[in-house]
Amino acid sequence: MAIHSEPLISVARPRRRAVTLAGWLDRATVFSWLMMAPPILFLLALVGYPLAYGVLLSLQDRIVAQPGVFVGLQNFAKDSQDPVFWRVVINTFVYTGVATVLKMVGGLGLALAMNQHFRFKNIIRALLLLPFIVPTVLSTVAFMWMLDPAFSVINRVLIQFGVPRPGPSWLGNPILAMVSIIAINTWRGLPFYGITLLAGLQTVPTELYEAATIDGASGWQRFRYVTLPLLQPIILIVTLFSVIFTFADFQLVYVLTHGGPQNATNLLATYAFDIGMGSGQLGLGASVALTMLPALALLIVAITLYLKKKS
Amino acid sequence: MITGYGPIQRTVRVWLPVLFFLFLALLPFYWMAITSIKPNSELYSMRSNPLLVHAPTLKHYIDLLGTTNFLLWTWNTMVVAVISTAISLALGIMLAYPLARINFPGAGLMAIAVASVYLVPQPLLFIPLADVINRLDLGNTLTAVILTYPTMLVPFCAWLLLGYFKTVPMELEEAARIDGASRFQTMRRIFLPLCTPGFISAGIFAFTLAQNEFLYALIFLTKTSVRTVPVGVISELIKGDVFYWGQLMAAALLGSVPVAIIYSFFVEHYVAGLTSGAVKG
Amino acid sequence: MSQSTRRDVLKIALAGAGAAALPWAARADGKTVTLLHETSFIQTFDEYMQKTLAPAYEKETGVKIVYELTSVGSLPTRISTIIETGTGADLTMIFLLYPFLFGDKLADVSDIAEEAGKAQGGWYDAAKEAGVVNGKWKAIPHSNIGQLMNWRTDWFAEVGVKTFPETWEELYEVGKKLKAKDHPFGFELGHGFGDNHGWLYPLLWSYGGHEVEADGKTVVIDSDETAKAIDFARKFFKDCMFDDVLGWTDVSNNKAWMAEQISCTNNAESILWFAKRNFPDIAKVTDQAQNPAGPKGRFHLLNCVSHSVFDFGPEQEEAKKFLRWLTAEKQAGGWYAAADSYYQPFLHAYDNAPMWQVEPRNIPYRDAMASAHLPGWPAPPGRQLAEAVSKYVVVDMFAKACTGTPTKDVIKAAEAQLKEIYKTA
Repeated sequence: MAIHSEPLISVARPRRRAVTLAGWLDRATVFSWLMMAPPILFLLALVGYPLAYGVLLSLQDRIVAQPGVFVGLQNFAKDSQDPVFWRVVINTFVYTGVATVLKMVGGLGLALAMNQHFRFKNIIRALLLLPFIVPTVLSTVAFMWMLDPAFSVINRVLIQFGVPRPGPSWLGNPILAMVSIIAINTWRGLPFYGITLLAGLQTVPTELYEAATIDGASGWQRFRYVTLPLLQPIILIVTLFSVIFTFADFQLVYVLTHGGPQNATNLLATYAFDIGMGSGQLGLGASVALTMLPALALLIVAITLYLKKKS
Repeated sequence: MITGYGPIQRTVRVWLPVLFFLFLALLPFYWMAITSIKPNSELYSMRSNPLLVHAPTLKHYIDLLGTTNFLLWTWNTMVVAVISTAISLALGIMLAYPLARINFPGAGLMAIAVASVYLVPQPLLFIPLADVINRLDLGNTLTAVILTYPTMLVPFCAWLLLGYFKTVPMELEEAARIDGASRFQTMRRIFLPLCTPGFISAGIFAFTLAQNEFLYALIFLTKTSVRTVPVGVISELIKGDVFYWGQLMAAALLGSVPVAIIYSFFVEHYVAGLTSGAVKG
Repeated sequence: MSQSTRRDVLKIALAGAGAAALPWAARADGKTVTLLHETSFIQTFDEYMQKTLAPAYEKETGVKIVYELTSVGSLPTRISTIIETGTGADLTMIFLLYPFLFGDKLADVSDIAEEAGKAQGGWYDAAKEAGVVNGKWKAIPHSNIGQLMNWRTDWFAEVGVKTFPETWEELYEVGKKLKAKDHPFGFELGHGFGDNHGWLYPLLWSYGGHEVEADGKTVVIDSDETAKAIDFARKFFKDCMFDDVLGWTDVSNNKAWMAEQISCTNNAESILWFAKRNFPDIAKVTDQAQNPAGPKGRFHLLNCVSHSVFDFGPEQEEAKKFLRWLTAEKQAGGWYAAADSYYQPFLHAYDNAPMWQVEPRNIPYRDAMASAHLPGWPAPPGRQLAEAVSKYVVVDMFAKACTGTPTKDVIKAAEAQLKEIYKTA
C-alpha cells in the first residue's frame, strides 16, 4: 500500500477549501462569475443600457434638444406606412444575401486555389488580405472615382468592346448602383472568407482524401463529400460574422451614394442615420435602427438551421 | 494538399486562379497609387489613360502630410486601436476562460448571451451612446472611442477565444490543480501562456476592426485634433463639395501601410489561431 | 515650406496626443466667450477672426474670444451635443433649419437684429425667413452662401448664346444643342445635399409648385404647376443631360466641371474658386448667372449662415455683447471682405461694397438674395419640413420622373409621403 507517494485529489481538501476565502474564490461557480463580472458589467453598461435606452427612444417622439414624449408604437406605425422604409428593408436583405453568397462562393474558390504549394504563397496571402485591411471609407472613395463613367477604366474597356459611350452609369442607374455596392462589399469581404476557409482547409487530414481517392472518388466528389462537410462549422461561423457586418453596413453607402439614386442603395443603417442626425428625429431614427434586431436575429437563426441541417 | 503536377497543369490549377484573385484584389490599390502621384491636370483629364501617369508628382503627399493633420490622425488611430484591442482581449479572455474550461451553472446561457450582444447593431446604439458619452463629458476625446470600440470587439474576441481555448488540452491544468494551484493561478501561469497564437489572431482582427471604425468616430470626434484617419480624411479632405482626390488616395495608401506591415508579420499566427479556434469551435 | 511645416506637424502631433487624453480644456481666468464655427471653405475668413477680430475685441473689452472650429458637416452634431449637455460654447454659427429645430435653446437676439437693420440699410426679406422663429429673432443672419448657375461661356458662344438664358425653356433649347455637341449639362438628381435642392426647389417654385402651404398643414404638392415643373425636368434630363447625374452627390458636378465634361450646372462658388487656383484656363471661360425664370418667377435657394447665442451658459450676456460688436459694420465689413464675396451679406448697406468688385462674376449672388427661400417654402420651417428634406421627398419625386415614372404617379407618391410626415402638424 503506497502511503503518500502521489498527491491525491484528496477527499478532505474540498471541504477545507470552502472555509477560507481563497477556497471560496476557487469554487467553480464563484470563480467563473467573478471572472466574467468585469466584462459583463462593461457590456451591460455600454451595450445593455444603450440598447434599453434605444428601445425607449424608439417609443418616444424625441426631437434633438427637446424632451421626449412617449408615443408607444407610433414611430413603428409611421415606418410601416413609409414606402421608403420598405424599400430600405428590401435593399438591406438583397444586399446582404447576394453579397454573402458571392463572398462564400468566391472565398471558397480562393481557398481552394491557395491550398496548394507554390512560391511566394505567404506574400500573396498577405497581399490578398489588403482589401479587408484598408479602412472601408478610403477604398470606397477610390471606387467613387473608378466607377465614374468619364474616368472609369472599366467603362473604357467596355467601350472598346462595343458598348455605346459613355458606358454604363454605375452610380446613376438604380440597379447598377446596387450591383456596385454589392461588388465593392464582395471585394472587401472575400479575402476574409477566403483566408479563413483556407485555414479550415488546411486542417483536413490528407488521409481522408487519399482514402476517398482509393475508393474511386473524383475531384468533385472528394470536394463534396470530404471537404465540404468538414468545412461546415467554419463556413457557418464566417457566414454569421459576415452577415452581421454586412447587414449593419453603413460606411460604404454613406460615402459612395448616400442612399441614392432614389433610395436604390439606401440601407437600414444609412436611413436611420439620416432620420436621426439629419432631421433630428432621434425617436424615429431609433425605430428604424431597432428593426434591424429582429431581422438580423431571424437571419442568424435561419442560416444556422440551414447549414446545420446540411451536414 | 495536392501536389505533383506538370507545368501546364500547374499554371491552370494554381497560377490562373491565384493571379485572378490577386488582380481583382490589387487593382484598386494600383489605382490609388497611380492617382496619388498624378498631378491635378492629369487627374481631371478625361482623355488620359486612367492607369498610367505621365508626369508623376509627390505634391499630394506633401500637401497631405504638410497641410493636414494626417499624421496626428494616424497617431490617434493607432493609440485607439491598440488600447481598445488590449481592453477587448482582456475582457474577452475573462469571458471565454470560464465558458471554455469550467462547467458551471448558467454557462450555456451566458455563451448565447455573449453571442447575441453581437446582434445589436451600431446604428442603433450610437444615439444613446452619444448621450452617455456627453453626460460623462467625454465628447471629443479619444477616451470616448476607446471606451466604445470594445463594445463591438469584446463579443468577437470572446467568441474566437472561446473556440480556441477549447482546443487546448486539459492535462496541464489538471496537473496544476492537483498540485494545489488555485484556478486563478492555473489560468495565469499555465493556461494563458499557451494561447499566444489565439491572442494574436483575435488581437489582429480586433485591431483591424478598430482602425476601420467610422460611425462612432464620426459622431464623437468632431475636433480635428482628436480624429482618427477614416473620419479625418472624409471630413477634412472633403471640403463641402470639393474633394482633394490626390490627397485622398495618398491618405488611403498611407493609411493601409502600417496595418499591412503588421499583418505580414503576423498572418501565420492569425491563420493558426483561426484554425484551432474557428474550426473546432 | 518643409522645415517649419514638419516642426509644426510634430508640435501638433505631440500637443494633440497630450490634449487628446484630457477632456475639454478648462477655461482661462477672466471672461471668455467661445464662438463655435464650421471651418470655412475660405481660409482667410477664419484667419481674419483669429488674427484680427478676436485680438481687437480682447483689447477693447478684456474678454477673450475662443474661436472653436469644427469640420464641415459636423456642426449640427456639435450643436446637438452642446445643447444636450448644456455646455461647450456660448455662441455658434448656425444654418438652414436649425434655428427652428433648436429655437427653444437659443437666446432672443431681436434687439441686436433690429439695431443692425436700422443702422445698415435694412435686412433682405430672406434674412427674416432664416432668423425669425415665432416672431423673435433667434439668429443674426450673417450671410448667404448662394447657389447659382455656372456656365461655359466658350461653348455657349459656339451655339450662338452670349448671355445666360432668361428662362428654363430657353436654357433647355441651349442644352439640347450643346448635348449634341458632346457638352451636356449636369444637374444633380442624386442624394447629395446642396446641389440637388439648389436647382430642384427653385425649379418647382418658378413653375408655381409648392409642397405645403404657408399654414404648415395643407399638402398641396398635387397641382398642375407641380406637374408642369416635373414634365420640364423630365425633358431637361432626357435631352440635355446624361444618366450618371441620377447618382450624383455634391462633389460630382465639381469633378465633372474640372474634367470639362459638362457645360452648365448649379453650384456655390466652389467651382470657380477651385478652377481659378488649379485650372486657370477653365476658370477663364466659367461664368455665373442667376437661375432661369419660370412662368411664376425666378427663385433661388436660401443657404443662410447665422449666429445664435445659446440660452444657457454663464456668459450669455457677454456673448450677446460680442455678437452685437461683430455685427457692427466695421467688424462685419472687414470679415466679409476677407472672404472675397463668398459670403453674401444680408444687409443692404453692403450692396455696393468694394468687395463685389474683386470678383464681379459673384455679383449675381448678391442679386439672387432678393428671391431666395428656404427649402420647403412656403411652409414654415419646423420639424416636419426638416423630415421631408432629410427624406429627399422632392428630389426623389423629380428623379423618379426623369427615369420614366409617369408624372401622376410620382406626384401621388410624394403627396403620400408628405401627408404622412405632416400628419402630426
